[in-house]
Amino acid sequence: MNGKKRNTLSAWVCNIPALAFAGSIVVFPIIYTAYISLTNMNVYHWFDFAVIGFKNYISALSVVDSGFLRALGLTVLWTALNMILQLVIAFVMASLLNIEKLRPRKVYKTLLMFPWAMPGYVSILLWKNGMFNPQFGLLNQWLSGWGSEPVRWLAGDVLAFICCLVVNLWLALPFMIMIMDGALQSVDKSYYENAMLDGAGWFTRQIRLTVPAITPIIAPAVVITLFTTFKQFDVIYLLTQQVGAKTGANIHTVLTYAYENAFVTNNYGFSSAVSIIIFLLLISFALLSKIRRPGNEKNI
Amino acid sequence: MKRFILFILAITAMLSLPACGGDESGGEGKGLGLVIWHDKEDAVAAALQAELDTLKPDINVRLEKKNGLTEALKMVGNDPKAAPDFYFFAHDKLGVYAEMGILSPITELVDKAALGGFLPMTIEAATYKGAVYQLPIYFETLLFMYNRALMPDDEVPATTEELYSFMASGAGGKYGFIEQHSTAYYSAGWIHGFGGGIVTEDGVPLLDTPETVKALEYHGKFVERMPGESEYATVNTLFREGRAASTIGGPWLVPTARESGIDLGLAPMPVVDETGLPIAPYSGVQGLHVLKVAADNPEKNAAIREVLKLLLNPGIGAAMAKASGCAPALEACYDADDIKNDSLVMMMRQTAEKAVPMPNIPEMDVMWNVVSNLLVDINMRGRDAAEAAADAQKNAWDLIKAMK
Repeated sequence: MNGKKRNTLSAWVCNIPALAFAGSIVVFPIIYTAYISLTNMNVYHWFDFAVIGFKNYISALSVVDSGFLRALGLTVLWTALNMILQLVIAFVMASLLNIEKLRPRKVYKTLLMFPWAMPGYVSILLWKNGMFNPQFGLLNQWLSGWGSEPVRWLAGDVLAFICCLVVNLWLALPFMIMIMDGALQSVDKSYYENAMLDGAGWFTRQIRLTVPAITPIIAPAVVITLFTTFKQFDVIYLLTQQVGAKTGANIHTVLTYAYENAFVTNNYGFSSAVSIIIFLLLISFALLSKIRRPGNEKNI
Repeated sequence: MKRFILFILAITAMLSLPACGGDESGGEGKGLGLVIWHDKEDAVAAALQAELDTLKPDINVRLEKKNGLTEALKMVGNDPKAAPDFYFFAHDKLGVYAEMGILSPITELVDKAALGGFLPMTIEAATYKGAVYQLPIYFETLLFMYNRALMPDDEVPATTEELYSFMASGAGGKYGFIEQHSTAYYSAGWIHGFGGGIVTEDGVPLLDTPETVKALEYHGKFVERMPGESEYATVNTLFREGRAASTIGGPWLVPTARESGIDLGLAPMPVVDETGLPIAPYSGVQGLHVLKVAADNPEKNAAIREVLKLLLNPGIGAAMAKASGCAPALEACYDADDIKNDSLVMMMRQTAEKAVPMPNIPEMDVMWNVVSNLLVDINMRGRDAAEAAADAQKNAWDLIKAMK
């Protein structure tokens, strides 16, 4: 065995514990879910379940009805709007944080990180009861002070969707601002000096210089956020769909829809099949984002 | 050498971790240990623990508060090493666990004659497919509550039309009546008042029956005079702040309402004029369930019998009912003066005579959500009741079929 082969082998041996650990916490649950999706594990066959082939997948396709397709469309819209707004707002905020003469920069950064430090569940319910509640919420208190009629913020589909969007942005922006801030600080200042000498204005500098320079740095964060937003459950569910606290809005993401139409059945085989279908949908999106487009060698 | 010592220390620490898992005997002392999972408030747990401690030193019973109790039981309910010996919870989940095969019928562990001392409604609630799976301790149901400052005793409505007239009269600029109108648990009372239902004991949804549809339509006119939101926090806060004259609420609302300075009155549920039946809410029976893995353990079986025998003592039922603000399940408890003189407990018993035990069949798990969606469709989105009920019925069937 030559030295190169020995090095490769020892590298693999050293990595085995890490690979086994990652495999056990990431890959095994997926494989196990796929296995359960092929069984009849439900309340009536909890411990004596058996493999039943693809029956659950045939049943799961019944969930893919017009309601599911509407939820899928809404999820895509939700993801796209969230990503666009997050990137634009985070870019603006991070740029403002990087103004040279900004003195209390650390104070601003700390304040901007605050939503990230709070548990999501608490934040969402605080928004629901503290801000949007028509009887006691701050927004209607303000409206009432101005002599306006109270608004049921979470009752109508469009208004509720916008409210959910606001809450999700509040929760997600700290992460994106932090990444964007780091990316902006990594850009060599001499590029800007050269560009200014060449007569480039502020807008041109941002489009031609900043955006290409930070794209590879923020790309992983964008991908992570993209998937987190696509499989969002808690914001929409807790604000509008929680059992006992439904608000009247009929907005569903793929996951909240699947929850109401599959997971409540206590049929783990069926629910696992729905989960695998959603998982495959997500994988498809991931693969789509990997497709190399002509003239675009670098892909997110 | 330093690294080697650190390595040895790390291994020692790892090996000693299981010792932090607690005493497998279930408590201090040398007696046989038993564990009860529960999700109850501290006062209830303390009352139960105090009684169970009388079994020491032969039997040590430890109460363990468990978050996500219902899901945890699904995961470990048949694992002798991880499952508790009992769990203390409402009766509505016992059908799920009985079907899963993790529960032992109580009748195999206590004298059947002893069950004759319970209020019939509580035994009915504890029975699934002919077997009794719960030893009932106390029960709760919704009550008609009113604020005497806004609704004098002589204006308390005896019928639903009187209630509607009170609401329509303006109630001094306050809400005349509020409730969690689009929540299945609260609206079920109205449906039962029309002779309708949510699901039969055989798992057949009843959402599109004429009685249920009629109830939903009738209920709608009351909802129009309530706030749009129907969640717990809003409804209870409005009542506690004196912005609503009356409500239908659980016993858990009584202490906070009194603390808020409300002169609280309790009254029988109004009778639906059209049917002559009162609004009949669901009742929930809290009690002890025995896990099959524990009952099948020869070492534990005798101790489990002792625990159940102890809990047949009316004194315990009364103590726990007082701690929870609910009504005891044992008839004999009502001989005690402090129970007889407790207006809350006695009103709960009176209401419970007409109340309907929450269905304990597995199908009910999906019905909560279906009915909530139906109520939201009608009350908040303005859909036609018959049309929405037909859609909900189909949805209920789809989900019930998907359970199997």
